[in-house]
Amino acid sequence: MLRLSSHFSATLTLALLLAMSLFCAGCAASASNSGFFGKTDPPRENVLRYVSGSEPESLDPQVSAGQNEARLYMALYEGLIEYDPKTSAPVPAIAERWEVNKDYSEMTFHLRQNARFSNGDPITAADFVYTIRRGLAPEFASTNAALAFYIKYAQAFNEGGVFVFDPASKTFLLEKDFLPGEEQPATQPALPLSSQPIESIAAEYPPIPEEKSPDADTDFHRFMHSPPRVVLPGDEKKRNKALDADPKLKAAIAGKQLVAVKAEDVGVEAVDNYTLRVSLAQQAPFFISLMPHQFFRVIHRGTVEQFHSSWTDPKHIVTSGPFKLEAWKPYDRIVVVRDPMNWDASKVKLDRIVFYMLVDNTTMLNLYKAGELDAMYNHTVPAAWLEVMGSMKDFMDAPEAAIDYYRFNTTKGPTKDIRVRKALNMSLDKTALANWRHVKPLTAFTPSGIFPGYPQPAGDPFDPEMAKRLLAEAGYADASGKYDPEKFSASEVEMITNPDGNNLTYADFIQAQWKQNLGATIQIRVMESKTFYAAQAKLDYKGISRFGWSADYMDPFTFLGLFYTPTGNNGTGWWDPKFVELLDEANRTVDHQKRYEILAQAEKLMLEAQPIMPITVGTTRWMKKPYVKGMYPNATTLIPWKWVYIERDQSRWDYGVPDMTE
Amino acid sequence: MLRFIIRRVVIIIPMLLIIVTLTWGLIRLAPGNFYTGERKLTPAIEQNLREKYGLNKPWYVQYGRFLRNIARFDFGTSLKYEGQSVNQILWRALPVSAALGLTAYLLALVVGITIGTLAALKQNSWIDYATMSLAMLGISIPNFVLGPLLVLVFALTLFWLPPALWNGFPSKSVILPALTLSAIYIAYIARLTRSGMLEVMRSDYIRTARAKGLSERQVVFRHALRGGLLPVISFSGPALAFLITGTVVVERVFSLPGLGNYFINACFNRDEPLIIGIVAFIAVAVLVFNLLVDISYGFIDPRIRY
Repeated sequence: MLRLSSHFSATLTLALLLAMSLFCAGCAASASNSGFFGKTDPPRENVLRYVSGSEPESLDPQVSAGQNEARLYMALYEGLIEYDPKTSAPVPAIAERWEVNKDYSEMTFHLRQNARFSNGDPITAADFVYTIRRGLAPEFASTNAALAFYIKYAQAFNEGGVFVFDPASKTFLLEKDFLPGEEQPATQPALPLSSQPIESIAAEYPPIPEEKSPDADTDFHRFMHSPPRVVLPGDEKKRNKALDADPKLKAAIAGKQLVAVKAEDVGVEAVDNYTLRVSLAQQAPFFISLMPHQFFRVIHRGTVEQFHSSWTDPKHIVTSGPFKLEAWKPYDRIVVVRDPMNWDASKVKLDRIVFYMLVDNTTMLNLYKAGELDAMYNHTVPAAWLEVMGSMKDFMDAPEAAIDYYRFNTTKGPTKDIRVRKALNMSLDKTALANWRHVKPLTAFTPSGIFPGYPQPAGDPFDPEMAKRLLAEAGYADASGKYDPEKFSASEVEMITNPDGNNLTYADFIQAQWKQNLGATIQIRVMESKTFYAAQAKLDYKGISRFGWSADYMDPFTFLGLFYTPTGNNGTGWWDPKFVELLDEANRTVDHQKRYEILAQAEKLMLEAQPIMPITVGTTRWMKKPYVKGMYPNATTLIPWKWVYIERDQSRWDYGVPDMTE
Repeated sequence: MLRFIIRRVVIIIPMLLIIVTLTWGLIRLAPGNFYTGERKLTPAIEQNLREKYGLNKPWYVQYGRFLRNIARFDFGTSLKYEGQSVNQILWRALPVSAALGLTAYLLALVVGITIGTLAALKQNSWIDYATMSLAMLGISIPNFVLGPLLVLVFALTLFWLPPALWNGFPSKSVILPALTLSAIYIAYIARLTRSGMLEVMRSDYIRTARAKGLSERQVVFRHALRGGLLPVISFSGPALAFLITGTVVVERVFSLPGLGNYFINACFNRDEPLIIGIVAFIAVAVLVFNLLVDISYGFIDPRIRY
């Protein structure tokens, strides 16, 4: 026995020595490359090795909504408009220019004539019409379709709606005859220009010298410029329900025909081969910034119709972007090569991009350090590593158009009381949290510092004393009227979150703050992601739940619009028609600054009701080797690949975050 | 023997049916759906999706269709990966897992049996203690710790081997994952071999063999190993099934496109056809390998007859 233990201890010592030498070896490796994380040898070929994230659902740009897919789609497909690599503002792509009518309800895109698909077919306006109609088709069931709902009759088509046709008068029933608020018709805002009769193109569009305007007098254009038709649900049960709520309409449809809304009714028109006109159902000044989104990137009709859902198979796929598909090894890598057919091919600098489908941050950082990856996507440096990585010259950190916040359930429990919501918000020291996590605190709802000129309102400051007074007022007080933590029914409130990313560290911190500042212990409940989303969607949570949002396009409306409807991505149960009215008014406002001011008013109104607790503004947090140029930590963290290149001259490398203002 | 095999093969069918039905039911009990995400869909879009995938039909219709497809070995199309059939995914991911699993398996058998035998033959010597302590370490260090440690040394310090990714088989990228994967199996097999051999070496027929004047080498390799390896064989059959059908942790740590990686993601994605396809595949593999082990007993140990 004694002999065994002495041998055993010898082995143990050996093992410990081995472990220690491993540890020191690790230290030596990170200390040897001062300033950068790991190797800085550029790849021999003109190739970028990048991580795209989890396996793409599909290479069909209209199928998936994720950022992991967006990274690939931006290489393979091009839209009318592209994101600027630094500011993410819209810049010309297949559309070389565009015009917007006076009230932002109609746009005309002029396509360049040398744009081609990867098989050499020319890209025309008809391809964009096809793409948008297909994306909206109900049987295609795109999860992104809602992005196109600003287009006239797009929502009606996607939801399988019907028009009401009167065979006697050969006309369709019009919305304006059945407005719910018709008692005060004077307050109804005028219809957008896109729904008024065409006076003349010149009256609607600013004049362009030496340019012939597209034909305004097409049948379709006149149809678009007529007052909106009544649209009813196609499903009989839902339709009857809608009609029961509106007796006047119910009476009016008796004996009328129901006509299904068709793809051809959606407000996109190929005026000629290279002119595309889009009519919107409402005024939407932000619509142009939505155009680079993957949903609107053009696909090849012939290939889709021939191969159906397998058209993205590497054998069949035809693409429209600066790169085309070379190889797709699922769960491993996707390789794209420069497409010589692309109109801008001479400016595309990389020969090839290899996208690895990786999800584990440590694996990514290992590959990056070993020099097998040249760059990573946003949020790939874990918060716990920031102490070390934050000072590296290849660490890309910049404010992101993304926010972290908690939702309050305003429909039940203690958080139904606005004073409780305000108190919980005021007793969290967001600055302390932000400093600890190397991010920026957020007291309002839109991300601060992202939209230049936007007069963002300030939310409530950190004020635990005020918070206690509010809670005392809300009834959590002892006999003398002072706040009593014992009375606060913390058990009726819990924070739910999914375990992804830094959510747990945030939750722990917030829990500790409330314990410290209010003396209340609010339990954290961690749920598997899908379970968590399902609970949030049904408002099936007690009090507080985590959420985050990143911009779909560069406009405050992408955030404020979350509360445009009581359902959908609202998730709080709070909804105020006054808020919606302000948003509508803002979008009817042509003057940019004036519009921002109205949006800010809406944001203020919402913050006063406190349906959410803002926490932090995102930061991009990723790594890029110094020799990778033309790639910026922009606010949307979407990289247009055609401007990226490998720089071999060390004097032109990036030693730090590249300048994004020049 | 033949009757035994036929009986066992026939039993596989109802077993499989129970397994896939249970899986089918469990997926339905889990909250959320394949399209549930951080961003809520509008009800109409959700409706369009449910219609597209036949989820708005009553459960018995869905179950009937499911059984019909299973009977034809058609697991359908993945819900998450548009246009990819489950069979396609299985055949693509299996070679990766199988190549990795087989390498690890062979490594485990060769190293495990060798050091186990050595330890048994030199019982209570320093070789015995050293190998058995290492085996203890191998069993107690989980592979999600061992993998990153190996990566730290061989990929990030010495820069000899890639830290992750799959570059085909054979290639340098197989070495670290195979080592990580095999560690625990080496350890188990070494311990099993040692105890099996120790028991056999004391038995009468070994004494007989020695008495016949056979050399020690012949005693060990011709007589002792056959008996001493029985516990190893009953362990290694199911082990092989699990190894080649994908190992979640190692495939995750090294980002390999194998079945294990697909499986864990399919669960997170609630990708029903893919989950059921992989579960059924693993179930068949485990059942078949168990059968093979039982059959092989008959050949290795003359005392066992069916």
